[in-house]
Amino acid sequence: MSTNAAKNLFIYGSLLCFIVLIVLTIDTMGTLDKRAPVITDKVDAGKKVWHKYDCIGCHTILGNGSYFAPDMTKAVERKPKGYLKKFIMDPRTIKADSAMPVLGISEQEADDLIAFLDWIAKVDTNGWPPKPILVAAAAGKAATPGQVLFQQNDCSACHQIQGLGGTAGPDLTRIGLKQADIEWHIKHLKNPESVVPKSAMPDFAHLNDEELKALAEYMVTLK
Amino acid sequence: MKYQSQKIAVNFYTAALLLFAVQVVVGIIAALQFMWPDFFILNFNTIRTLHINALVVWLLMGMMGATYYVVTEESETELWSIPLAQLQFWATVIAVTAVVVGYIVMGVFPQANIEVFGTQLLNEGREYIEAPRWADILIVVSVLLFLFNCLMTVFKTKKFTAVQGVLLGGLTFLALMYLPGMFYTKSMVKDQFWWWWVVHLWVEGSWELIAAALLAFMLHKLLGADVKVLAKWMYIETGLVLFTGILGLGHHYYWIGTPKYWLWVGGFFSSLEPIPLLLMVWDAFRTTRETRVAVPNKIGLYLTVAHAIFNFVGAGLWGVIHTLPQVNKWTHGTQLTTAHGHLAFYGAYVLLIVAMIYVTLPSIRGVKEFNQSKGYLAFWWMTISMVFIVITITGAGMVQTYLERLLGLDYVTVKASYNLWFWIFRAIFGVGFLVGVLILVADFFTLGKKPLPAK
Ligand code: HEC
Ligand code: HEC
Ligand code: HEM
Ligand code: HEM
Ligand SMILES: [Fe+2]
Repeated sequence: MSTNAAKNLFIYGSLLCFIVLIVLTIDTMGTLDKRAPVITDKVDAGKKVWHKYDCIGCHTILGNGSYFAPDMTKAVERKPKGYLKKFIMDPRTIKADSAMPVLGISEQEADDLIAFLDWIAKVDTNGWPPKPILVAAAAGKAATPGQVLFQQNDCSACHQIQGLGGTAGPDLTRIGLKQADIEWHIKHLKNPESVVPKSAMPDFAHLNDEELKALAEYMVTLK
Repeated sequence: MKYQSQKIAVNFYTAALLLFAVQVVVGIIAALQFMWPDFFILNFNTIRTLHINALVVWLLMGMMGATYYVVTEESETELWSIPLAQLQFWATVIAVTAVVVGYIVMGVFPQANIEVFGTQLLNEGREYIEAPRWADILIVVSVLLFLFNCLMTVFKTKKFTAVQGVLLGGLTFLALMYLPGMFYTKSMVKDQFWWWWVVHLWVEGSWELIAAALLAFMLHKLLGADVKVLAKWMYIETGLVLFTGILGLGHHYYWIGTPKYWLWVGGFFSSLEPIPLLLMVWDAFRTTRETRVAVPNKIGLYLTVAHAIFNFVGAGLWGVIHTLPQVNKWTHGTQLTTAHGHLAFYGAYVLLIVAMIYVTLPSIRGVKEFNQSKGYLAFWWMTISMVFIVITITGAGMVQTYLERLLGLDYVTVKASYNLWFWIFRAIFGVGFLVGVLILVADFFTLGKKPLPAK
């Protein structure tokens, strides 16, 4: 190949590739709004708060950003919104050893952020993030009624038992040693703030007495 | 030195290397914050912003300095306007300082980042392009002044060499690809779509053009190799870079809310991206082998070849391992991405600018022989440390992918307990890297200024 032929191939080939990219971009732009929920003013306000506090400087969203903190794409699916709101406004009160600093986010800003996070969780991401294998395998392998309820209510989103589960709340591996009183557990589950002031745990008052008792009994067996 | 204008390159190199040192110091702070989040007055996000912005800005300043040098040499004339180049230099320094002050203010008082005319005043809150809109405009003006000055110089003598063509073409492409990052979209999906135009089409498009042009320039200057042959291979390399890289953009559109066909487009084209990078390695070796002249500037040649090799390893190999959607589905947004980011930027662009400095500085200072031992020392301290940083972070990424993504353990658990040792080692090797940078900076300031010891 002569230098000139190589030059022409470079110029015209690259232009062609760029044109294909522009065509694909136009096509993609036409589909994006259908693959995501409607963007309300509140969602937009939440996105601006996201930018204002540079959340991307620690977190990823849609998998892009910084790798210092958990991905935010499915945050509202992992944890109840009430908890997330409290956490965003004051992480260190909710979880003393949290690596997220207090940024001074107002109640209004927190509400907007939750609306934004709710929007992003519903975007069609071609199945990302994928379901982990172990969690999928563990589902339906429970024995006692208490264990079943523990799974159904997604307690492990916030609590660990023997290394499995989230870290928003205390590790429950040995909770039976710390708190052996079944009545305390029932009260706590019905209304956490009645026994733990300022608790960020969501209440499970919608469960019936039998279910609460089964959960409480499971708790005290954990030693 | 043949041309007075080439002195301006030294200004750019100096600013670039000082920012490099700052970048690495804040990188070490960021690494320590993985273990102690409250280690410093500024939170991790601000430190990280400083780290990656310092990186991008110093590389751009290095490229500008190198280009001012190359254009005068290839056009065989002084710059169209030296005062304009000086103005552009100082304007850039002032704008960069203002942006940094803004980041620090916002780091201390997050509330200060208020909204003005629909954009944030101090920090746009978008990775890599955190600089606020007013700074974006200043950056574009600065780059336009720079391009204008270079183009006017080329037209003064009308020596349209291949190197100048690809170099200035790459820089124009670079300036254009900054624009997609300069408007607000309400949809986070569209936000990230255009954001990747900037980030990907920079590092895997325009910047690689600049790298290919500077590679040809250095091989010619060091070895006196045939310009025609160099030009031919440069066109083939840059052609392949863009044929694979432009549509390779699709490897960032798998999971951000974009249609499924991007899995095919991105997977196919990005898998081919290592080919032109391998070609550059072969080009560097072939040219070196074919030239049988004694090369006085051995360190310059050494760094040129090292740049080509690490460009291929960091961008090509460490990129291609996670570029197929089947793999990327599990590794997307993990520490594996960080590992690739570090080795790619180091190999492709840090070593490129360092090589350009060693290739051009002796001519600028008017010396033929100089003490080269510090150059090797700096190179090895930096390279060994970087390789180990990348190994530790690749390890952390594999552990994270396995435990968090495959098994479903909690993010914070994996980060705080399983990966703790990786963070410790990264910080230690980070200090090793800083040693290399300090040797480099010291050598830059003294190179060719002291008389050589008698042989
Ligand atoms: C300085 C870094 C940093 C910044 C800035 C930051 N975060 Fe965090 N964030 C963290 C870390 C680290 C965690 C993990 C919490 C822990 O340590 O337990 C976290 C946790 C969270 C959680 C809880 C996630 C879960 O699944 O439990 C939410 C929600 C959250 N951050 C939202 C935000 C939002 C919204 C912003 C911007 C307004 C933000 N963060 C800014 C570091 C940060
Ligand atoms: C959104 C997160 C979240 C969810 C979901 C959650 N918890 Fe909690 N949990 C917390 C937090 C935060 C605390 C610490 C404050 C407190 O003690 O109330 C806590 C505390 C506890 C404690 C007391 C631990 C101790 O060491 O004192 C128990 C027991 C408990 N939770 C059980 C449960 C059970 C059972 C479920 C499911 C039905 C559940 N939690 C769901 C967040 C959560
Ligand atoms: C010199 C060239 C390159 C540089 C400087 C570079 C740099 C980077 C950086 C910094 C990121 C992380 C972006 C972020 O912070 O979100 C990234 C992501 C990525 N790069 Fe590269 N890269 C280069 C070339 C390549 C090549 C040639 C390939 C493929 C063959 C590649 C594949 C990828 C992929 C797949 C990701 C996304 C990772 C994820 O899903 O998290 N890169 N690159
Ligand atoms: C020339 C050398 C370096 C280059 C080119 C470089 C480049 C980058 C880039 C592109 C990022 C952002 C994207 C990513 O996370 O992948 C980054 C983040 C980071 N860098 Fe560097 N860096 C260098 C040196 C260092 C050193 C010496 C350290 C200190 C140990 C360091 C520590 C970090 C940390 C802790 C992050 C944040 C990673 C995360 O979010 O998980 N870097 N660097
Ligand atoms: Fe890319």
